[in-house]
Amino acid sequence: MDFAFLSDTMGQLLAVTPVTLELWISCIAIGGVLACFVTWARVSGVPGLTQLAAAYIFVFRGSPLLIQTFLLYYGVSQFAEVRQSFVWPVLRDPFNSVVISLALCTGGYTAEIFRGGLQAVPGREIEAGRAIGMSGFTLFRRIIAPIALRQALPAYSTEVVLMMKATALASLVTVWEVTGVAQRIISHTYRTFEVFICAAIIYLVLNFIVIRLLLHVERRISPHLQGRPNAIHPGAPPEHAAGPIELPEVPR
Amino acid sequence: MIDLSLLGFGAGSWGKVLLLATLMTLAVTLVALAIGAIIGSLVAWAKLSKNLGWRFVGDAYTTVFRGVPELLIIYLIYFGGSRGVTWIGSLFGAQGFIGLPAFMAGAIGVGVISASYQAEVFRGSFLAVSSGEIEAARAIGMPRLLRFRRIVVPQILRFSLPGLGNVWQLSLKDSALVSVTGLAELMRQSQIAAGSTHLYFTFYIAGGVLYLVLTSLSDRIFGVAEKRVARSFRGSVGRG
Amino acid sequence: MTAIPTLSVKDIHKAYAGVEVLRGISLDAQEGDVISILGASGSGKSTFLRCINLLEIPDAGQVTVAGETIAMRPKRGGGQEPASSKQVDRIRTELGMVFQNFNLWSHMTVLQNVVEGPLHVLRRPRAECVAEAEALLEKVGIADKRNFYPAHLSGGQQQRAAIARALAMKPKVMLFDEPTSALDPELVGEVLRVLRALADEGRTMLVVTHEMGFARTVSNRVVFVHQGLVEADGTPEQVFGELKSERFKQFVSGLHA
Repeated sequence: MDFAFLSDTMGQLLAVTPVTLELWISCIAIGGVLACFVTWARVSGVPGLTQLAAAYIFVFRGSPLLIQTFLLYYGVSQFAEVRQSFVWPVLRDPFNSVVISLALCTGGYTAEIFRGGLQAVPGREIEAGRAIGMSGFTLFRRIIAPIALRQALPAYSTEVVLMMKATALASLVTVWEVTGVAQRIISHTYRTFEVFICAAIIYLVLNFIVIRLLLHVERRISPHLQGRPNAIHPGAPPEHAAGPIELPEVPR
Repeated sequence: MIDLSLLGFGAGSWGKVLLLATLMTLAVTLVALAIGAIIGSLVAWAKLSKNLGWRFVGDAYTTVFRGVPELLIIYLIYFGGSRGVTWIGSLFGAQGFIGLPAFMAGAIGVGVISASYQAEVFRGSFLAVSSGEIEAARAIGMPRLLRFRRIVVPQILRFSLPGLGNVWQLSLKDSALVSVTGLAELMRQSQIAAGSTHLYFTFYIAGGVLYLVLTSLSDRIFGVAEKRVARSFRGSVGRG
Repeated sequence: MTAIPTLSVKDIHKAYAGVEVLRGISLDAQEGDVISILGASGSGKSTFLRCINLLEIPDAGQVTVAGETIAMRPKRGGGQEPASSKQVDRIRTELGMVFQNFNLWSHMTVLQNVVEGPLHVLRRPRAECVAEAEALLEKVGIADKRNFYPAHLSGGQQQRAAIARALAMKPKVMLFDEPTSALDPELVGEVLRVLRALADEGRTMLVVTHEMGFARTVSNRVVFVHQGLVEADGTPEQVFGELKSERFKQFVSGLHA
């Protein structure tokens, strides 16, 4: 147990952990917003728009993230038009390029998750809303969206964790994050197992925190799925509270 | 702008190379899935065990291999595997560095990752097998092993089909990461072609299209298979 | 004239989580007996039946089939367990069980279900198994459904297939665990008809049931179980007619409520 080596490795990896986090938060945020638009387009029923959204989802879910990343980073630089345009300074930077491709990718998957959530809204609850005169945006805002979001949350939690893992691909386009630095250390020292364990610990801890946070959110927004409140002691924890919500096993 | 003849089959063209690379991708994924099925069954068995220790081992496996980036795991298998093989070789008197063949490293890497997902699929399927049907087998005097073989396993395979379809798609895409070992699969070949011609856009699009063909064909095939299986068992899942 | 009983169950005790469900039930069945077992929900009658073929293990008591007693040995932590799983499997082949929820194997056709036991457990030649299976399916009236999967059959058809499956093993005793309780009312009749035919053939049958008509007219013996003990045991005339037991009277009137 070479603690000196381990702690030195850990130090190096922790130093770049913020990069991993930045990548992750950025792509989740952008991808989430993107997914809202794509889902809306997908379910809109507008001919052309629906197909476009479906095509987008098909492409980004059907191909590996790596090739999407390379395509954006190396591929678009092939065109002089792009190099001379205003987006070039943004796209040139590997970090930005990776965030965009990660966001585009998670946008596709998340759009499908949101669509699944929408489809899971019980028709009878929408009917009840209509019956009291709700329609259009109010119906969506007060009834459909909240229920859809709750239905989508478990699958979305899985997606969020998957994106954390996806940030590792940034190392292949010269962004120094945890996996990239780990690989550099391995190739210098050949101490594969020790470095792997250090890096694995970092990712597992990050995942753990994220999953706990999301479980907490799930509990907060779904009080109706927990046990019955304790009538005698209103503040006490409910009996038979639902256990930790199982994340679905296989992502896609 | 894009010279499509480059994707053809003539001299100096990459069409044939890319198609062969596609076959390599399929091969790696198939072997990976087979490895994953074996490991996954063991992990599922551990997770279903009455023994707390085994359950811990099973849960630890799925936590690690689903929580750690796939790229890191492939590095582990490739670099770590090479060290392991070199060490074993040294026990037999071989000298110097023996690399783990890229195909093996890739297949094992994707395989151990898919195993964690397959374990969940198998575990869920096992729990879904109707206890009533198992009881009927006991009541007829079927010994345990025969019960497992004739009643439990066929049902597990049937229930696992949708989940395994997902795992296949997942592994197909993960196989692109095997390119870091240098194996001439689709991702790597696209990269080589792109770098060699400096037509990055062209060849990454070509590679992407080929992957899309693979995933949508797989989708079709699994869809047909699921329909055929469901036809016989419509309405009976969960009965008893 | 007491020959060796085909089935002899002595003093079965069974407790779940500290609650004693069976508190010492004994039953002997001679060849050809058709015994209806009645009782309220929770009286333990299904548990009792399942203790006979050891789907549940009784905490105490023994089961003897055609003179052969299932060997038990004491278990760590109290109770007992079978001494030989091979013996249990073998004796199970002599006891046919029909379940409330049919429990047909959903990945096999009706014919395959019926053939499975004789072919893979008893290891008889395939041609023989198939021929007998077809005859049995004919007998219970679903020969035309032989290549159907259970999911495509009605409840009554599935239960008749399940009966054929149990008969295929040529058991000495047939155990029926509420065979009609999961059926729609209009399908109950076809299954009761099969049961009656089996009774007329002289089969030894134990039937846990709520069907009073069957109990009165087809069985030659009625056993009333109440809270884990046998409250009444006699011919239908004795148990229904003289209605000695107060509890039985309550039970019967409760059913008509």
